[in-house]
Amino acid sequence: MTDAIQTISPETLKTEYLSAENCEFFASAHGFLGSKIKGKEYKRVILTRALPLTEPDKYICITDVEKTELGIIEDTSVFSPEQKKLIDDELSRRYFCPVITEIKSIKEKFGNFYFDVMIGDFKKNFTVKNLNKNIRYHGEGFDLIDVDGNRYRIPDFKAISPKSRRNLEPYLY
Amino acid sequence: MKKGFPPPFPPERENKNKLPPWVIRALEEKGLSAEGLVFACFCDMDNVALYKDSWLFFDNKGLYIASGTQETVKPKRGHVPPEPKVTIEKIQSIPVGDIDSLTAERYTSTGRLVMSENGEDVPLTYFSLGKIGDLDEFARAFNSYKETGETGITPRMDDGPGKCKKCGAPCPPDKDFCREHDKNKGTAVRLLKFFGTHSIQIAIILALMVMNAAAQVFVPQLSTRSLYDNVLSGGSPLEQSIKALGVLVLSVVGLRVLKTVITIIQDYMSASIMPRIMYDIKVRIFEAMQRLSVGFYSSKQTGSLMDRVTRDANNIYWFFTDGVPRLIIDGAMIIGILIVMFTMSWKLSLIALITTPILFLTLVLGDRLFRRMHHRVWVMRSRARSLVSDNINGQRVIKAFAKENDEYGHFEKESDAVRDAEVRLGVAEATLFPILDIFVLLLTTVVLAFGGVMVAKSEGNMTTGTLLSFIVYVNMLKEPFGFLSWISNWWSRCSDSAQRVFEIADAMPDITEKEDAVGLENIRGEVEINELEFEYEPARPVINKLSLHAPAGTMLGIVGKTGAGKTTIANLIARLYDAKEGSVKIDGIDVRDLKLADLRRNIGLVSQDIYLFIGSIADNIRYAKPDATMDEVIAAAKAACAHDFIMKLPDGYETRVGAGGQSLSGGEKQRVSIARTIIQNPKILILDEATAAMDTETERNIQASLGLLTQGRTTIAIAHRLSTLRDSDYLAVIDEGKIVEYGTYQELIKLKGEFYRLYKIQAEALKTIGIGDTEGVFAPDETEEEKHDD
Repeated sequence: MTDAIQTISPETLKTEYLSAENCEFFASAHGFLGSKIKGKEYKRVILTRALPLTEPDKYICITDVEKTELGIIEDTSVFSPEQKKLIDDELSRRYFCPVITEIKSIKEKFGNFYFDVMIGDFKKNFTVKNLNKNIRYHGEGFDLIDVDGNRYRIPDFKAISPKSRRNLEPYLY
Repeated sequence: MKKGFPPPFPPERENKNKLPPWVIRALEEKGLSAEGLVFACFCDMDNVALYKDSWLFFDNKGLYIASGTQETVKPKRGHVPPEPKVTIEKIQSIPVGDIDSLTAERYTSTGRLVMSENGEDVPLTYFSLGKIGDLDEFARAFNSYKETGETGITPRMDDGPGKCKKCGAPCPPDKDFCREHDKNKGTAVRLLKFFGTHSIQIAIILALMVMNAAAQVFVPQLSTRSLYDNVLSGGSPLEQSIKALGVLVLSVVGLRVLKTVITIIQDYMSASIMPRIMYDIKVRIFEAMQRLSVGFYSSKQTGSLMDRVTRDANNIYWFFTDGVPRLIIDGAMIIGILIVMFTMSWKLSLIALITTPILFLTLVLGDRLFRRMHHRVWVMRSRARSLVSDNINGQRVIKAFAKENDEYGHFEKESDAVRDAEVRLGVAEATLFPILDIFVLLLTTVVLAFGGVMVAKSEGNMTTGTLLSFIVYVNMLKEPFGFLSWISNWWSRCSDSAQRVFEIADAMPDITEKEDAVGLENIRGEVEINELEFEYEPARPVINKLSLHAPAGTMLGIVGKTGAGKTTIANLIARLYDAKEGSVKIDGIDVRDLKLADLRRNIGLVSQDIYLFIGSIADNIRYAKPDATMDEVIAAAKAACAHDFIMKLPDGYETRVGAGGQSLSGGEKQRVSIARTIIQNPKILILDEATAAMDTETERNIQASLGLLTQGRTTIAIAHRLSTLRDSDYLAVIDEGKIVEYGTYQELIKLKGEFYRLYKIQAEALKTIGIGDTEGVFAPDETEEEKHDD
């Protein structure tokens, strides 16, 4: 940290980095995540990813239900497997995205892209406006964001069927 | 309804707050009566985030979640859609007494309805993000009903309107017919309506085009067939041949001249009509855009709207100027050529036609391949263009951070991608076009071979001249067929643009004036806000049950952190947006019942986002009152402390500002905008961070001017800097859309709450930078006790 930054406001710059030593998680009777941070117990905490697309397990911000930041976990891998599972479960609930298993067809009409896809066994139709701006690439795959703000994930583009790839490929630039 | 598109019976088509009758029947079959139902909503996921149809509703006894399946049946074209088939698989009921409150929580792509039970959060169900508005409304309705016995939600989407007059199928509330029966549904039909006022000229142009095509078709008859058969065949005496040649040459020249004359008349008429039609379209878009509310502009990017007025209108223009004439001429030519060919030899024509579809198909396939490649080139070029634009706009930052080389690197990378895409396209075109030419050559060769045999056998009056002219006709077919193979893409682009244009023309403004709106000639200026609720996005409330009162002629100061909702209050008073619940009243009348022109004339808004139009400074000051005299303009500029800086500019009040004009500093622009509001002389003045971009001295001067300006009118002043609000009669401290403190300056200081905290922070900050309390932040009549407390 440079001297210039330090002189601005130590209070606002103070970041509480949390690790397995000072932070412990537990699940409530109804499945919500609680935490004990530096000895203080919070019945419910909210986890938010700082880098949701590229580093989903690093820089996880913990807030209470009033959205007050309690600290940041630099890397979730430092937690025990049981603790990590609690963190992962909470993150997967919060960042849940239906996974597209097959793209049956894409129709382009008036700048809208009408997707007819399979999400597991469920047939789903959704519309994406301005495809270039509503696609978020990550690793080998990407998320599509429809007109309502819903996200649909293709975790690995190479892993879906060749027909599905052919349907989407012309629009992926 | 096309396959794969959303079903025709989405539940939101019906009254959103009630259950559809087929769901009620399915529930009754399961032994649950929906008789006492208070509020309902549809949900599309279950409690483990799997897609599932479910209905949430409550009565005075319990909250119910019924999940199952809803099968919609595709209706026959133009028929009333049949009722969906609903099967209820599971009903979860929770006694109302067990639920403290409901909350719709927003996650990244989904949401979750959570109930609070004895202070514990209990998850109920997930829903996709598109449903968050409905689920949030459901939660609020439940919470309000539990507390007051009323849902507090105005019912939406009644069954009454929104049914097709012909078949009864659901349709948008502002339409009388469903898509199937709407005569105006087709983009082409709607576009052609613009041509209706010029129908006679259009008919003449069409006739000329057909004549033009006929002239083209007739040329080979003279220049090839007659030349070979009557002149070059060698059967006639030389003198007769020369005479025939003379007639032929004159005929060909005459035909060419005739064609040129037709083309000139046709182009002349088109040139005089098309700009008029384009004018109609552009005026229509611009007029529609003026009618629309601020919300529409916030949801669309400025660039995309600019495109609609310029690029989309031009796309339509070029299609109708270039595409349609070619389509008609080429269509007429194909028909004419085929007629002539069949007249000459039906056998040879059939041979030619058998091979033509292969040519046509190849052209279509080739076009499809190129379309993808062109799309790729287009995307790459757009990206490179955006980078250049970004770079030019950010030059100061780039230089300040010495990032020129990095930026060059980025550009090189994007340019490489453009080059590669262009090379790939170029190579493909260079390869495929000669192959297409071979197809045409093969076609010609087949015709030549068969025709040659027919000439040799003298079959069906087939002469050398007839065969050669036949070959010319076959070659002439290539261009119109080629054009026809890609005209559909051109039309797609045009109808795409037309659709975007009509989207604006058809958009309903969020803010509309009631038919029986009340006029307000002389208002007192009393502003009353009752239980106001507002959100830009569902489930993200910006204003939450806020009530305020500013008696006529008083000054109300609003303080709060960034994002507390201060500017939103200003926007709601000026009715730039409509409240979700609650009301804003002026002189006791709801702003939604007032005539918009009267309302806006009586409200002066000096916003933190200052916009000056292209024109002189005087024009900008006169914006609200175009007939203001120069004396009034100067007086307003002096009151806004703008006169001095304006007089220092070489062109004084005639200095051009706005895009491309003289650049003014933030504070200077703010002063011009204050002068613009002063000249409007409104009864209610809203100052939204009006002096935020000014230095302390200028702010003081403006404060003094505004002090005079605010006399006799209601002023609502929004500010971060508390010094701006010294003269307020009342102050309201806002946080997260709620009022946390309300009172006079002295009362709030004594209260030692949020206002006091803000005031201390600012005073400390001023002391730190060596100003102390010269700003007058500290109350002049602060008591000794308070000073001691500090």
